[in-house]
Amino acid sequence: MTHGLWNLRIKVDGELIVDADPEIGYLHRGIEKICEYRRYNEVVTLMDRTCYVAGIAWEQLYIMAAEGALGLSPPARAEYIRVLSQELQRLSSHIMWYAAYVQDIGLMTPFLYGMRDRDLILDLFQSYTGARMTYEFMRVGGVRNDVPVGFTDRCRKVMDWLDQRIPEYEKVCDNSTIFLDRTKGIGILKAKECLNDGITGPMLRAAGVARDIRRDRPYSVYPELDFDIALYDEPDCYGRYRVRMEEMKQSVRIVRQVLDWLDRNPGPVLAEKVPRFVGTPSPPPGKETYVERRGYPKGRGFSSMEEPHGEAMAYIINEGAEHPYRAKLRSPVFVNIAASKDYLVGYRVSDIPAIMGSVDVCVGESDR
Amino acid sequence: MPEENPPLRPLIPGITAQFPQDVTVLPRRKDMLAVLKVTPARVAEVAKYLRDVGSFEHCALVSGVDWVDHLEVLYHLWSDSLKGYIELTVDLPSEDPHVPSVTEIWRGANWHERETWDMLGVRFDGHPDLRRVLMPEGYQFHPLRKSFELHEPEELEVKARHV
Amino acid sequence: MSDSETSGTSKIITHVREADAPEPEVPFAEIEIVQSKEFIPVVKENLTGMIQRGMEAAVKPVFNWAGRNSLFPLHWGLACCAIEFAAGFGARWDGERFGVVPRSSPRQCDLLIVNGTVTWKLSHKLITLWEQMPEPKWAIAMGNCATGGGPFRTAYSVVPGVDKLVPIDVYIAGCPPRPEAMLDGILRLERLIRERRG
Repeated sequence: MTHGLWNLRIKVDGELIVDADPEIGYLHRGIEKICEYRRYNEVVTLMDRTCYVAGIAWEQLYIMAAEGALGLSPPARAEYIRVLSQELQRLSSHIMWYAAYVQDIGLMTPFLYGMRDRDLILDLFQSYTGARMTYEFMRVGGVRNDVPVGFTDRCRKVMDWLDQRIPEYEKVCDNSTIFLDRTKGIGILKAKECLNDGITGPMLRAAGVARDIRRDRPYSVYPELDFDIALYDEPDCYGRYRVRMEEMKQSVRIVRQVLDWLDRNPGPVLAEKVPRFVGTPSPPPGKETYVERRGYPKGRGFSSMEEPHGEAMAYIINEGAEHPYRAKLRSPVFVNIAASKDYLVGYRVSDIPAIMGSVDVCVGESDR
Repeated sequence: MPEENPPLRPLIPGITAQFPQDVTVLPRRKDMLAVLKVTPARVAEVAKYLRDVGSFEHCALVSGVDWVDHLEVLYHLWSDSLKGYIELTVDLPSEDPHVPSVTEIWRGANWHERETWDMLGVRFDGHPDLRRVLMPEGYQFHPLRKSFELHEPEELEVKARHV
Repeated sequence: MSDSETSGTSKIITHVREADAPEPEVPFAEIEIVQSKEFIPVVKENLTGMIQRGMEAAVKPVFNWAGRNSLFPLHWGLACCAIEFAAGFGARWDGERFGVVPRSSPRQCDLLIVNGTVTWKLSHKLITLWEQMPEPKWAIAMGNCATGGGPFRTAYSVVPGVDKLVPIDVYIAGCPPRPEAMLDGILRLERLIRERRG
């Protein structure tokens, strides 16, 4: 369901897969090109739609790179609200994955469980960003607005609820023979091949490689927060499921710490000195673009972060104009699909939904 | 010589000694361990050296920029032991750009190179399967070139669309 | 799910109503309770008889009534709106209470919900799916991308409005529309079918 539309050509010998050739691009919307026609804050709109199950993660990714290119830094409270959004988004993305994946495998209940609990998190998002999925919340130099009064208590209630629910999700899967038979020992990709293929995120951590950008190359306020990296030593579909479940528990832990911090530290959420041209509305395309703003520094911004699907990167080149000169996005799903031949060959045709589902494909992100 | 980066101290002099003609160390940005400029012909060898000696085992991104008068191809490599990225930049001519492929060194670079060919028209020599990946096969343009402009659909001729 | 029989761990309990047991009363509806096992053959015989006698005009409203109250949309997902589409059939909104059941094959569907951005690369597939659906069929453009290209209107690869490819009956605004909006669009389509076809 989150899988979107893409095409997998396979060559089979009876039931066994001997070759696979994925083809994507059915949702290629030219986001990198449109970025070059939009002002810095207007690009945020596109980032939500880049990955529609983890919109706010891509907003922050872009904003961090744009801030690097423009030489701005946000106030501390904005950073905490960003991390809060990140972890809520990771929860909702993983729950969405769980709902869709386990339904693909043949159990119906997780879909209903997952969609219900995901809506609780989306309600939290709605209370402080105003939208369920496409938020337009981050700004160059901070975030758009503070969280509303009473938000932290409401959020704590949802976290308490998820504390009970996540073990129940696990119970549904671990007690199901269907689920275990279809995931254990299926879709194995060993750590060495994962590294060579450039695979990141839960797939890599299921293979036992402890790479998490939040810990290895800390951004925002992650160094001040306590959390563990979820690891598993079986690089199969079941291992990826275990890693995601554990990540959800860690996200709940991070959210609680951030909420405590937000309660203690009021303050501004948007930097004061944001250049005016960053936010003013854009002229129609083709007219007076690339107006040189004299005296404003040129620069290149680079950011990488641990998005729910893996390592995402953004690279922004600022040539002193109102628009990014070039915005490049690296999607983890793009690389994970590209390697699908390596983890499909040798399994059966009926294993394909289980294997490709465990990758957590989000086509909007891979095609951009 | 720009200021040095402690984690990379043995590596950078090593690589400049190995490829004196081909590698230039550019001023370091705060988000990169180092920025190296490489001549197009030796990219694959420098990349192999960085993987084997410098432990950059993860090719995170291959991308490109169109600077109108020339093209720039960027490689971002990640090292698990140094916990950081290194950036390689390669300048190419605008007309008929060629650069050796690094797919032999990191399989993960495969689709990134295909995408760079698709979007910018950079040919990667030695790539096993250099097809378009995002746009359909048979599309005439390389959309991220600056000469390719966007228009409102009403003013767009059919020729820019592949139906 | 049918798979549960093969699970081995779960015990299957099925309720079988005995033939002589009294029919459970329906307290909220003062309608004549019709025994379906008698009702359906009679209706079937009457309807086939009417068709044989050349009275399609009299039969049509019945089929239209049945058709518009059980629209089967194609179960596919293009982009962001597909997630809201899925949420609309989740526990909170429960779209199936309107008789709307997503089906996976276009041959079983009479409603195409275009839930996301359509690119030119995808346009062939969209038209193929539309042509595979049996008549009578309807189409809903869900969200701004399907309606007019949305934020990607100027992009080189995006169809600026899916009505250039298939005939659209209802447009739903929003980026993405909330699940309520999607269900409202389906109900509007039902009203439209009633107006158009009686």
